[in-house]
Amino acid sequence: MTAYIIRRLLATIPVMAVVAIFVFLLLRLAPGDPAALIAGDNATSAQIEEIRQKLGLNLPIWEQFFLWAGDILRGDLGKSIFSNMPVTTLIAQRLEPTLMLTLATLIVAISLAIPLGVIAAWKARTAIDRVVMLFSVLGFAVPVFLAGYVLMYVFSIQLRWLPVQGYRPLSQGLWPSIQSLILPAIALGMTYVALIARITRASMLEVLAQDYIRTANAKGLATGRVLLLHALKNASVPIVTVIGIGIALLISGVVITETVFNIPGLGRLTVDAVLKRDYPIVQGLILVFAATKVIINLLIDLSYAFLDPRIRH
Amino acid sequence: MSILQVRDLKTHFFTQDGVVRAVDGVSFEVGLGETVAVVGESGCGKSVTALSILRLIPKETGRIVGGEILFNGRDLTKLSEEEMRSIRGHEISMIFQEPMTSLNPVLTIGTQIAENVVRHKGVSWEEARRRAKEMLELVRIADPERRLDEYPHQLSGGMRQRVMIAIALSCDPKILIADEPTTALDVTIQAQILDLMIELKKKINAAIIMITHDLGVVAETAQRVIVMYAGRKVEEAPIEDLFDNPMHPYTRGLMAAIPRLDIEAEVGGRRTRLHEIPGMVPVLTKPIPGCAFAPRCAFATDRCRTQAPPYVESTPGHVAACWEVDRVREMAA
Repeated sequence: MTAYIIRRLLATIPVMAVVAIFVFLLLRLAPGDPAALIAGDNATSAQIEEIRQKLGLNLPIWEQFFLWAGDILRGDLGKSIFSNMPVTTLIAQRLEPTLMLTLATLIVAISLAIPLGVIAAWKARTAIDRVVMLFSVLGFAVPVFLAGYVLMYVFSIQLRWLPVQGYRPLSQGLWPSIQSLILPAIALGMTYVALIARITRASMLEVLAQDYIRTANAKGLATGRVLLLHALKNASVPIVTVIGIGIALLISGVVITETVFNIPGLGRLTVDAVLKRDYPIVQGLILVFAATKVIINLLIDLSYAFLDPRIRH
Repeated sequence: MSILQVRDLKTHFFTQDGVVRAVDGVSFEVGLGETVAVVGESGCGKSVTALSILRLIPKETGRIVGGEILFNGRDLTKLSEEEMRSIRGHEISMIFQEPMTSLNPVLTIGTQIAENVVRHKGVSWEEARRRAKEMLELVRIADPERRLDEYPHQLSGGMRQRVMIAIALSCDPKILIADEPTTALDVTIQAQILDLMIELKKKINAAIIMITHDLGVVAETAQRVIVMYAGRKVEEAPIEDLFDNPMHPYTRGLMAAIPRLDIEAEVGGRRTRLHEIPGMVPVLTKPIPGCAFAPRCAFATDRCRTQAPPYVESTPGHVAACWEVDRVREMAA
């Protein structure tokens, strides 16, 4: 088990190295001169050259890379071209809303999707199954921004139960923070409810046809134990995989949700940085997102070993 | 005194090709502590009969459409699902043909035995674990304490079937249904499992319904035999009577199809060929008006093809469903 964990951990190093090279090249080779951009429309070529010197943009590309990579390993993601603030500080400031939104969305999605999928599989080919699957098709088909505006209209503007937009940080109390997350989490979570419920149903259906489920029934075990222990544990590997992919997609999804609900998270920071071509921020964000995905993948791999003894041994 | 009476059981499957009459009016009894074998070819309805007793027929496709199954006088076909669940694994338990796939791969052996005990005996998990260890000792698994924490993939096929037997016996059932318990195993392991079952038979009080297509297994284990063909019982007899004096042409065919070393010896430099029953098992989606075996039977007459044969009793307890028992007997003499 320990060997398995160490192997998985070591495997993340080359992945992150490739990501770093890619991030570096992608932005250095992109069209447009950041020095000219920063200097503004009325700058002289001398001023542009000065900025280029300052940012090290005139050095050979490999030298730029090693300087940059060395800084990253020391935890320095550089400074914003425009605000001159350290990128790490900027990201840290925006981390809480995004983390909270992702977490809230996952809780909404998983706590709805798994029971729905299990019930649909248990009652397969009945009316209950069809209703569940119909809703999951709908959830999949409705775009996040549409769901977001509809929810906002009904629950915030008409019923006035929840705040319209914005995020209240945890420092202002847990409940206000949760209130501000409910609608965005539902809007964002709908797609994942659909995705996870469908894979849960499919995986459960396959498992429920297995001989060991017949054995469990032949023991006279309660339906709950058969479904939630004997079947769901066997069905869990594909479900966990999809949840992991879902988290990765969620991180991309927050860009839209944060814009719709006016939440000052990493998604908004990304949009602003890309529009302004603030290279260090974009690079830092891509690295953070990539690292998050690598960590999630690692956790999924480790969960397989936890869920299935055949992988562990 | 009988503990189980199956009367005119009919279990049908509703498929796209029509209604499959997998079990079509089967009756038999099982005495207290008795071992009854049910034999027949694949698809004759023997496994469906077994699953019907525990009401484990997949409900999307199959249903018990008629008859009754009296267990201690209660009709199992009339019980609620919840009442059935308290009988399954407790008063009537079952072991299956496929030890490789019948245990849950993600739960420990200990959990899979103990949960049955916790469910039906209402004891604590610690108590159930002690019982599980006892059961592993009973089925002769070495180092039971360690095995309790292992997973099925760490055990061989024979050991897994021992675990299945341990689960089935963990709550002292009144009836143990064994559905081809040795079929999927290697020949040497088959013998070991069979020996274990014969040995356990002496220690436990359960009646055993042994479902098999292997007449060798029947001869070694059972006191009484039921021969099934195309969803019907064609013959029933005490074990010696069946082997000494089979009444039904199908039973005779089955026996002739057993490979025998003594007569398979070379005859004039040529090996005698193994006997086989000509023809095919009938399609069960069409109602069969007469005897289901008639199309394959050398003795069949027009009456056989049009009218269902009655059960004829030759000696006490030995019955066969055949119009032509007398001619069959003459031929044999």
